[in-house]
Amino acid sequence: MAAPLTLLVIVAVTIRAVLFRSSLAELISERVEVVSPLNSWKRVVEGLALLDLGVSPYSGDVFHETPLTIYLYHFVIDYAEIVCMIADGITAVALYLAVQVYNKNVFRKQKYALEADRYPHDCLELMQTPKELFYVPLKVAMFYLLSPFTILSCVAKSTCGINNAIVALFVLCTIKGSALLSAIFLALATYQSIYPITLFAPALIYLLQRLYIPVNLRRQSFWLFTLQYAFMFVGSLVVIVGLSFFLLGSWDYIPSVYGFILSVPDLTPNIGLFWYFFAEMFEHFRLFFICVFQINVFFYTIPLSIKLKDHPVFLMFMQIAIISIFKSYPTVGDIALYMAFLPVWSHLYRFLRNIFMVSCVLLACSALFPVLWHLWIYAGSANSNFYYAITLLFNVGQVLLVSDYFYAYLRREHHLSHGLYLKKKDGSEATLVLK
Amino acid sequence: GWKRGSSFLPGIDVTDTKLSTSAFLLLHQARAERFFRSDHTNNWAVLVCTSRFWFNYRHVANTLSVYRSVKRLGIPDSHIVLMLADDMACNHRNPKPATVFSHKNMELNVYGDDVEVDYRGYEVTVENFLRVLTGRLPPSTPRSKRLLSDDHSNILIYLTGHGGNGFLKFQDSEEISNVELADAFEQMWQKRRYNELLFIIDTCQGASMYERFYSPNLMALASSQVGEDSLSHQPDLAIGVHLMDRYTFYLLEFLEDIHPASQANMNDLFKVCPKSQCVSTPGHRTDLFQRDPGSVLITDFFGSVRKVEITMETINLTPHTETALAYVDQLPVAQIIHQKPKQKDWHPPDGFILGLWTLILLVFFRTYGIKHLKHIF
Repeated sequence: MAAPLTLLVIVAVTIRAVLFRSSLAELISERVEVVSPLNSWKRVVEGLALLDLGVSPYSGDVFHETPLTIYLYHFVIDYAEIVCMIADGITAVALYLAVQVYNKNVFRKQKYALEADRYPHDCLELMQTPKELFYVPLKVAMFYLLSPFTILSCVAKSTCGINNAIVALFVLCTIKGSALLSAIFLALATYQSIYPITLFAPALIYLLQRLYIPVNLRRQSFWLFTLQYAFMFVGSLVVIVGLSFFLLGSWDYIPSVYGFILSVPDLTPNIGLFWYFFAEMFEHFRLFFICVFQINVFFYTIPLSIKLKDHPVFLMFMQIAIISIFKSYPTVGDIALYMAFLPVWSHLYRFLRNIFMVSCVLLACSALFPVLWHLWIYAGSANSNFYYAITLLFNVGQVLLVSDYFYAYLRREHHLSHGLYLKKKDGSEATLVLK
Repeated sequence: GWKRGSSFLPGIDVTDTKLSTSAFLLLHQARAERFFRSDHTNNWAVLVCTSRFWFNYRHVANTLSVYRSVKRLGIPDSHIVLMLADDMACNHRNPKPATVFSHKNMELNVYGDDVEVDYRGYEVTVENFLRVLTGRLPPSTPRSKRLLSDDHSNILIYLTGHGGNGFLKFQDSEEISNVELADAFEQMWQKRRYNELLFIIDTCQGASMYERFYSPNLMALASSQVGEDSLSHQPDLAIGVHLMDRYTFYLLEFLEDIHPASQANMNDLFKVCPKSQCVSTPGHRTDLFQRDPGSVLITDFFGSVRKVEITMETINLTPHTETALAYVDQLPVAQIIHQKPKQKDWHPPDGFILGLWTLILLVFFRTYGIKHLKHIF
């Protein structure tokens, strides 16, 4: 389906180019929902200017990008707009190819299961048809490229686009089955911001599944592969970190990048949960609550992997969503990445319970963010509580969205093994709840 | 010499032909050399009143009385930066509009007809004050709002308002601290914006404001010590407010006796307003000042008089090489003019580039097989 994809890319590039040339570009690159201290382009320019003046770019609290990205931006600093568009294009194409391969796998498994007659007879309406599976990759690419969040993030020249590209390439390599490349891209993604390390578990599970190694802690083959993969991941991470040391000749970047992400010193409002809480936190308790908030990102990996060990790609989607919601400096670019995956689970639509409310909440909050910001900062008639309320509501909406899809996925799996019309022991109709 | 404003050369009468020409020339030469060796060629004054509201009438009157004195003694309006935070003369509550009195019973109107206020009302902020001092103003600022001093300027800075231990309140909404002020003066020194600076402050606990000075050639006077309040002088029952503060009232009285040729020096100024008259103890600080205060004339700071003598004789001057004070980090002139750093672009180290691309190539060949090698080479 190269032609529709090309058309889509051209349309997306046109929209971005039009917005780049308009006066909105300046406005959007100032918005706190779109850029955070970690991925603002202004800071990149500032950091590189400091480097040209012979000063370490990490001096002062301005620049929080990793040295390898300094190397990249050093060449492309004058062509930022094109690079952002190319990054978006790479992400879209990577997601397209990944979802295509995944859908092929899904269809193949479904075909074998149908031939082996493993599904109850009333579940035939739950089957995914080839027609819808055919169009899903294009929908994924469309969801990513034409999503207003992505467009805003690209027009603001936020470096989130490049981070998304690395994560998308990681997903592509994992789904294609190449362990080395997957480990390398995962190491790159972790090197950029620490949170993608939680994607180690779904990638591992997927690769094990692909190699037909059962996920059983007592088997030696499991541990062998796990160690191999972990070794590749840690090895490439070490190599990348060492290489970054050689770029500037100092370890300055570690406190500036990772210390910054983990200890959250900058409390500029954004769409995340950290800023408001820590603005009023006493110093005495700050470390404790930082740990609590940061653990939130990593905490759901193990339980989710145990529950979803047969469905690693869905686990990957959930993990990316959890990272985007609970990371220390989220922006709309991170949200765009996991929202791009939603068409893959479009067959779950009949089981989604809160989709109307969630979409209303997300739409309303996205519209209210600039309004309440204006009221707070410019008009002076609101205060930070208003903006934080919308932030909270937005995050609640996202969490509800993710958990709704989780419920729908598990419910479909349950129906596929137990039949569509569930009956309790006495024969009356039963309903499924997610406890 | 000329800078002292004397209108004749004492003891020498140019029409006296009995004196030989060479001795005459020698004397001129000595005076000319003394003039060109002195580091003081012009005077500036920055007079600031930081309080607003009608009941702070006395602060505006303070500032205007010092303004009046320096103008009378010769500093022109172009060399005075007058900052008044509120308009008392045309205030609704002023029963005698267009006047600001310093003595009760309308004895002395310090407002007059020719007051030129440079910063008025809400323009008097800490930021603007510091920008005036350091010269870092936006390019659109008019000349009347700039302190265009150079390294031969003697500057008088007078501040009045409400203050406390280590701060001075501006406009009832912000403060300037003594540290900020000291740093501003240091900036002025490093940018060679003054030769000598006299700082007078009339607020409560005013001595705390000059505690932190560390730049050379600063002399400071304050109306009260730390822990003491500066008190106001007398109310006028017709106007309904206190008209002046005690320190500035007696300062004004002292200055009224000074004329442009006066030889009164700083030691007399330090005696102004003793505790019996002022109730607070005025303080002063001269440790940063190079010259002995007894040799510093009042008119060095409060006045600015030029008396020009025209002579038909040529006077040879010897070049003057020794400097009394060296500026910090003095650069040669060529470097001062072209001080923009050369823009060298940063390049990543070669080892890094080599390592990175080797790794990328290794990964590529590991993933896609060695067979691609033959297509490349």
